[in-house]
Amino acid sequence: MIRDQISSLVWLIFAIFISMESLRLPMGAWRDPGPGFLPLGTGILLGVLSIVNYYQSRPGQGPPPKDCWYSPKGWPKLVLVTVSLFTYILLWPVLGFLLSTVTLLFFLFRTVEPQTWKVTIGGSILIPAAFYALFDMWLKTQLPKGVLGF
Amino acid sequence: MAEDAVAQRGVGVLALDFFSNFIFAFSEAIRPDNLLFCFLGVVIGTLVGVLPGLGPVATISILLPTTFTIKPEQSLIMLAGIYYGAQYGGSTTSILLNLPGEAASVITCVDGYQMARQGRAGPALGIAAFGSCIAGTVSVVITMLIAPPLALFALQFGPPEYFSLMFLGLTVLTFLASGPMIRALMMACVGIFLGMIGTDVVSGLERFTYGSYTLMDGLGLVPVIMGLFGISEVLVNIEQTMKQEIYKTTLSHLFPSRQDWKDSIMAIVRGTFLGFFLGILPGGGAIISSFAAYAVEKKISRHPEKFGHGAIEGVAAPESANNSAAQGAFIPLLCLGIPSNVVMAILLGGLLIQGVKPGPLLMNDNPALFWGVIGSMYVGNLILLGLNLPLIGLWVQMLKVPYPILFPIILIVCIIGCYSLNYSLVEAAVMCLFGVVGYLLKKLEYEGAPLILAFVLSPMLENALRQSLIMSQGSFSIFFTRPISLIFILLAFMLLLSPVIPGFRKKPQISS
Repeated sequence: MIRDQISSLVWLIFAIFISMESLRLPMGAWRDPGPGFLPLGTGILLGVLSIVNYYQSRPGQGPPPKDCWYSPKGWPKLVLVTVSLFTYILLWPVLGFLLSTVTLLFFLFRTVEPQTWKVTIGGSILIPAAFYALFDMWLKTQLPKGVLGF
Repeated sequence: MAEDAVAQRGVGVLALDFFSNFIFAFSEAIRPDNLLFCFLGVVIGTLVGVLPGLGPVATISILLPTTFTIKPEQSLIMLAGIYYGAQYGGSTTSILLNLPGEAASVITCVDGYQMARQGRAGPALGIAAFGSCIAGTVSVVITMLIAPPLALFALQFGPPEYFSLMFLGLTVLTFLASGPMIRALMMACVGIFLGMIGTDVVSGLERFTYGSYTLMDGLGLVPVIMGLFGISEVLVNIEQTMKQEIYKTTLSHLFPSRQDWKDSIMAIVRGTFLGFFLGILPGGGAIISSFAAYAVEKKISRHPEKFGHGAIEGVAAPESANNSAAQGAFIPLLCLGIPSNVVMAILLGGLLIQGVKPGPLLMNDNPALFWGVIGSMYVGNLILLGLNLPLIGLWVQMLKVPYPILFPIILIVCIIGCYSLNYSLVEAAVMCLFGVVGYLLKKLEYEGAPLILAFVLSPMLENALRQSLIMSQGSFSIFFTRPISLIFILLAFMLLLSPVIPGFRKKPQISS
């Protein structure tokens, strides 16, 4: 299958990268291996395995190809959640934990599988408040405060 | 040396040791603080076992950072409770929904759901709970019996033996992987590489850090595990719309009838012993044990045709086996310091972060932790029996929480958990990155379990290899000339070569 062959090539490139970078480290000797010894061995082994996997993935060699590996209907939701997750982390120092969590929940409740306004508004306010009470006030985790001071 | 020590002490002394350990274990387990964390663990475990799409691996990963603020003993008691509690909870969804709450309950669906369709959901849930409790209890007793001699035996282990044992553990896990073995081996290589990022403990040189202060201490265990198992699981689940329908059946007669007991008691006994010993084996665990127990029951049954159509033995055996295995898996972790599966690898990582080094000396150095955890498993089993049967109605209600509401909560807990470790947003971002990587690995059919086990073992593996080579003046023969090491290495090579050995090609496969 093409996708398996592509993934094997990605691993092969990764293996070459590990091996090349390992060569920059001292190798030591057999009787006293240096810090580059095992990384180099790992890189070479990964490379060999990737090549074998590539050949085993040739059309007609492995099990019959499965359906599309991603869900055509589901991937927009996936991208949405992933992007909002990274944005959420970036927003923490700016908006603080409370405000950024309210924003994230409101956004996710309305976009991924739209909930009623009652659930959206109620959940977006109550869940961050509960987390704040649990982690910040009870467990004394110092959750970040934003530019507004909370 | 260790065998001599055991022989010199005699059976009577060992029996006395057993009872004194037994009493100490229980005095630790019923301390109010330990009891509270045990209770919390089994409740959370049952809950995650009940809720499809949130397994014990993901939950333990998510909750790991929150346990760093409590004592290591209490932390391990709670996390262990989550692990074996999930085995109990998983049976509920398997029987009522034909949807396994977690992987070790997959096989319970086969006969459990058929029993529910025949109006016998009550006895199915009942025998699953009783079987699990009996198995859990017996396995705690076996653990108490074999842990001290095993720890004594492990004192003979030097770096070559540890290297060979870890090598065997990784090989078994790759052998049992659900996909092709070669891909599991690739994942193990990636895990070893990731584990080597950071400062080399021997030379003090930085490896693959590229000037990053965050990477100088190495990739954090928590961000990697939470990303690969917690975040990625959420991403996989939201891609599909999960619709669940609870089979409408009467939940009466939870106590199995005399005939039910007669049919299932031997299945419980066999499942218990088989599960326990498969749980101890490196790479084994609850999943493979439940499948093996079911296969054994079907093979020896006088009525194999009943299996798949609501045979109560088909519920009793795997449910007993998965609980027994979940507890047996603690033996290699606590006595040898070697995790036998991915959950144990996470627990090992958690213990190391807290400054506790499991191994043969743990029993002497930290008896409260060692015996407290073992004692808590017994207490936890009793709590679970009390929780599962009367509260099944409540667990069924929990199944109605829609996933679109649940998943943002899981994501936020993950991020808070990861951030709270070092108050680092970079680590939270690394976790999300590994979440995406984990999602791609799952979709491209590369298993995460060998990667995580290798990642956790990597520093120990490298140290053991380097020390062994220093001991032998650079000769690899040291792994073949020491008997214990030779046995481990031979077993590992047998498994590695198994795909090319005729008649050995059909390997048992498990799903992660």
